[in-house]
Amino acid sequence: MTESDPDVVVIGSGAGGAPTAALLAEAGLGVLVVEEGEHVRQGEVVPFSLEQMERQYRAGGVTAALGRPSIAYTEACCIGGGSEINSGLYRRPPEDVLARWRTEHRIERFATDDLLAICDEVERELDVQLLPAAPIAAGAALQRGAGRLGWDHDEIPRWMTYDGADVASGRRQSMTETYLPRAERAGARLLPGHRAERIVVDGGRATGVVLRDRSGVVTTVRTRAVFVCGGAIQTPALLQRSGFRHRVGRALAVHPTVKLAARFGDEMNVPDDVPVHQVKEFAPDLSFGGSASNPGLIALALSDHWARFGPAVEDWQHLAVYYAAITSEGRGRVRAVPGLRDPIVTYRLTRRDRALLGQGLARLALVLLEAGATEVYPSYRGAPVVRGRKEIGAMRGGFSAAKAAVMTVHLCSTVPMGGDERWAATDSFGRLHGTSNVHVNDASLLPDAPGVNPQASVMAVAIRNARHFLVTWERRGRAA
Amino acid sequence: MSVVALVVGRFAGAVLRADLPELPEERLAETIVFVVRRVRGMPSPMRLGVGAVAAVVGGLGAVVGDGRVAAVLRRFPLPLTGEYVRLVRSLAYAYVWDRWPTTSAAGAAR
Repeated sequence: MTESDPDVVVIGSGAGGAPTAALLAEAGLGVLVVEEGEHVRQGEVVPFSLEQMERQYRAGGVTAALGRPSIAYTEACCIGGGSEINSGLYRRPPEDVLARWRTEHRIERFATDDLLAICDEVERELDVQLLPAAPIAAGAALQRGAGRLGWDHDEIPRWMTYDGADVASGRRQSMTETYLPRAERAGARLLPGHRAERIVVDGGRATGVVLRDRSGVVTTVRTRAVFVCGGAIQTPALLQRSGFRHRVGRALAVHPTVKLAARFGDEMNVPDDVPVHQVKEFAPDLSFGGSASNPGLIALALSDHWARFGPAVEDWQHLAVYYAAITSEGRGRVRAVPGLRDPIVTYRLTRRDRALLGQGLARLALVLLEAGATEVYPSYRGAPVVRGRKEIGAMRGGFSAAKAAVMTVHLCSTVPMGGDERWAATDSFGRLHGTSNVHVNDASLLPDAPGVNPQASVMAVAIRNARHFLVTWERRGRAA
Repeated sequence: MSVVALVVGRFAGAVLRADLPELPEERLAETIVFVVRRVRGMPSPMRLGVGAVAAVVGGLGAVVGDGRVAAVLRRFPLPLTGEYVRLVRSLAYAYVWDRWPTTSAAGAAR
């Protein structure tokens, strides 16, 4: 080791990596944060635009878990990770989910109160708050429809700051605005544009990380510990490339989602924002919310039956896209294959999942018709235009998951943590089994998909694990 | 240009000419460039899969004509080829309306 070798290399700078780097650097450790993507400052690209996809998403947003049907997913590839591109919605991990993880996965020292106390900290750090004024029209419609049906619905807070009551002034408190500056102030170094090819391991101990920059130059950084925080696809792929396979990449969990576009008499469309209301009447099995709805995404939502749906695109200002998300019983896999740069990702929906997607789409259509939608366009091949309650039955009858455009943005559980080595890839604090100094600290650790927007869960777990690591690090230091 | 880029580009052109017959030629060309670029940027396993399907579809197109193959696949979406049509169409539509939001449903500039 030389003086410039970091104590810890953190691979990935998103919701797991950024707080990890901040806490470790503030404790006095030398930290290097490696990020494959580039640094795009807020305001440089329009949220949800193709330009944003080009610059901040992996593969321009064209990624899918193969299956029948394939499930399109998106991953960030930029400084700040998913926190830079998602909707900014914040949901604490539900207490019953935490209890299930603690008991079924035997996670040690995983008290609900401790995790919720960390959530308090995160909420202060990210300025989590409700809208300062009325929601955008597409969100109000969801609220109205659910209210008329007597269905449970609420506004999801966001990590966002506002100038007074101006909703359009919202500035997201993503990782580049919060934990990463904290990490840098404490001395951490950020290295964008470098992909971690593999971890160098010697006798179960990581000694370095092999990095490749965009021009193909390969370097090896020596280190005393590694935190892998690349997200639920890239983390298991890197671990597999490095020779770690025990329970790695075998239990991908997602919230599969189907969409529809709804047309209203009034203007609904706000191209660079998303609704913050969700319908939770059937949670956790089913949740409904609003999606990004710029004209390109409206056209995409109508593309499954263009002959029938296409003309609506000319009225895109009156349309908005909505989703029905399910908690899935299915699971997927992530496999790194020698000779291929990227992993193969697969996912299999269960029979129950397929039925639930159809049910979700039908109920979502009902909410929007109640809200005053004049026409609803479901995203599956051969779908009808739905103009009233009586037509929902036909829509549901014609639905099959194999024909639907299924997608997801919440990817978890590919390197699950837990107290039982037979089922978990890491111990109760994210240290990879079979190693003494390789840690995972991102969505991969969550034992399953939490049924809500997962960023708060990811951050709470990451902060807990980073603190535990610091305690053991100090103990080792004293012993040495 | 690689063979895959060539056949994907030809196929995208055939799909778009059928779906959006009034899309001006320069917009069509720009959209095809975008579709090909995104296909080339896909993760390697997806790119290989799409390349294989595109090669088969492109081979058929060379024999009977891209337009005829595109018409059949648009009408009868088989499991793999159906996904290929959906991919090409999704990319193209997202691009057209992101870039030119006032485009008509038939592709006309407005």
